Amino acid sequence: MTQYILRRLLLMIPVAFLVTIGIFVIIRIAPGDPVLTYAGEDPDPAVIAAVRAQLGLDQPVPVQYAAWLSRALQGDLGRSFQTHQRVLDAIVERLPVTFELGAAAILISVSLALVIGTISAIKRNSAVDLLTTSITLAGVSFPNFYLGLLLILLFAYVIPGHIFPPGGWTPFSTDPGDNLRRLILPAITIATASLAVNLRQVRSSLLDVFGMDYMRTARAKGLRERAVVTRHALKNALIPVVTIIGIQVGAIIEGAIITETIFFIPGIGRLAVQAIPSQDYPVVQGVVLVAALSYMVSTLAVDVLYAYLDPRISFGGAEA
Amino acid sequence: MSGATLPVTMPLRGHSRASSLRWFLRKNPRMLVGVVLLAILLFVAAFAPIIAPYDPIKVSVPDQLQPPSIDHWFGTDDLGRDVFSRVLWGSRVSLSVGVISVSIGFLIGVSVGLLAGYLGGTFDLLAMRVIDALLAFPALVLAIAITASLGPQIQNAMIAIGIVAIPGYARLTRGQVLAVRGRDFIVAARTVGVPPFRIVLRHIFPNIANALVVQATLATAFAILAEAALSFLGLGPQPPYPSWGQDINYSQRYLANMKWWMSAGPGIAIFIAVFTFNFLGDALRDALDPRLRRSG
Repeated sequence: MTQYILRRLLLMIPVAFLVTIGIFVIIRIAPGDPVLTYAGEDPDPAVIAAVRAQLGLDQPVPVQYAAWLSRALQGDLGRSFQTHQRVLDAIVERLPVTFELGAAAILISVSLALVIGTISAIKRNSAVDLLTTSITLAGVSFPNFYLGLLLILLFAYVIPGHIFPPGGWTPFSTDPGDNLRRLILPAITIATASLAVNLRQVRSSLLDVFGMDYMRTARAKGLRERAVVTRHALKNALIPVVTIIGIQVGAIIEGAIITETIFFIPGIGRLAVQAIPSQDYPVVQGVVLVAALSYMVSTLAVDVLYAYLDPRISFGGAEA
Repeated sequence: MSGATLPVTMPLRGHSRASSLRWFLRKNPRMLVGVVLLAILLFVAAFAPIIAPYDPIKVSVPDQLQPPSIDHWFGTDDLGRDVFSRVLWGSRVSLSVGVISVSIGFLIGVSVGLLAGYLGGTFDLLAMRVIDALLAFPALVLAIAITASLGPQIQNAMIAIGIVAIPGYARLTRGQVLAVRGRDFIVAARTVGVPPFRIVLRHIFPNIANALVVQATLATAFAILAEAALSFLGLGPQPPYPSWGQDINYSQRYLANMKWWMSAGPGIAIFIAVFTFNFLGDALRDALDPRLRRSG
């Protein structure tokens, strides 16, 4: 197992290296001169040259990349062109908010998927199952930013009493109650798309397991149906679900970018969106790097967990 | 489910393509629903200039912020523009971004996958590491980063979504090629001296096309959703040109005033377009998957 984890970590290095090249290239292909953003309108040519030298932009591109990578490895992602704050500090400041939002979304999505998916699989081809399958397809197809607006409209304006606020954020440490009130709508917005995927996975995994010999054996030895489903079926069906949850970390990050914008939540998604119009490249670069690395690490964690949960997976061939 | 009693169908000389298509659609009713939905979408996009009752960008101050009525089915926005007409015109943007970006992803991804799967060796190793690196980004994050960098324009959104789609095709194609490569008819073709390029195009590609068609359909659904998200963030077509995502973003400022109709039309339009391609992709997968066909 340790060898397997080490091998996966080693395989991650070249991919992470290519990811950094990708991010660097994306930012450098941008039309326009970042120096002008940094130095302001109509600056003196001498100032431009000085800023260019200060930012290292007068160096050849490979040298610029090497310098950027070396600084990034030491945690220096540069400074925001707009606020002059260190990018890493800006990200670290906002990361807990995005993390809390993502965790709440996963919690909602997974718990609902487990309950509804199990009922749907047990009552296969019933009205409940049909409804669930339809909701699944609808959930995947519904734009989350429109869902967010609908939720705001409904809960903040239409339903009397303004159950949930239309946006904004209060840290948990300041006021836990208000934090939860402001968390629910955005978390539901993010959870909906992943709920559809999770639901489908729970249902199809359970249906696969229901056809297995050990299920017949469990029933033949007189176990109650509830015990058969929870102790035998669900336990085995959860293995593929773990993979799906891990992969959804990417979807959660994507959802956070949109949702934080709609609900005015100060997470890293909103940080990136605010940086785009002002061409604040170091911030965009930093957020994309953090997003990609989080996604890679979560995928690795899932692979390791998957190999641990399913003894049939050979550690030697699991990465193929 | 009794596979043994299924009749063996043989293509007859007199059968036209149209009758084969009719037979296929009769056998797969979900496909029929999907095809009809798609036909409606394409019709709307193609004939938007004729169907749309008003000019989508013409400002009409006396008509501003009107709720849905006989004159304005989906109401009007704060500049008095007809929301229904904007939704119809917006379908052109969404579908063109969907089709063009998926074509970009398809061409590059399938070519890389075919070469990596057939050639193997160093090319396979290097190409797959690059694909792994692309997969390491959450898709929408990468699309946002590329579009933000290239500039907020519809062409750049197409390029960004196309690049994001490449890994899906490349991985799928490579896997399918690896599964087909060792089969007898490929070995036979190689033995009689058929050149590799011809083997790939004439013998391998037709055998993996079904899976690619399904992937392309589902990828179009993602592309439409991604375009809407990029437009919502201000990275798609720029005002005043109608775009579903951008119109929803614009409607946000009137949400507190309960002007819900400004976002309802574009929101439902995105849902219908994405649903159509997801539904069609699912139906195609069921119809074209040989395993499902055998069991059915």
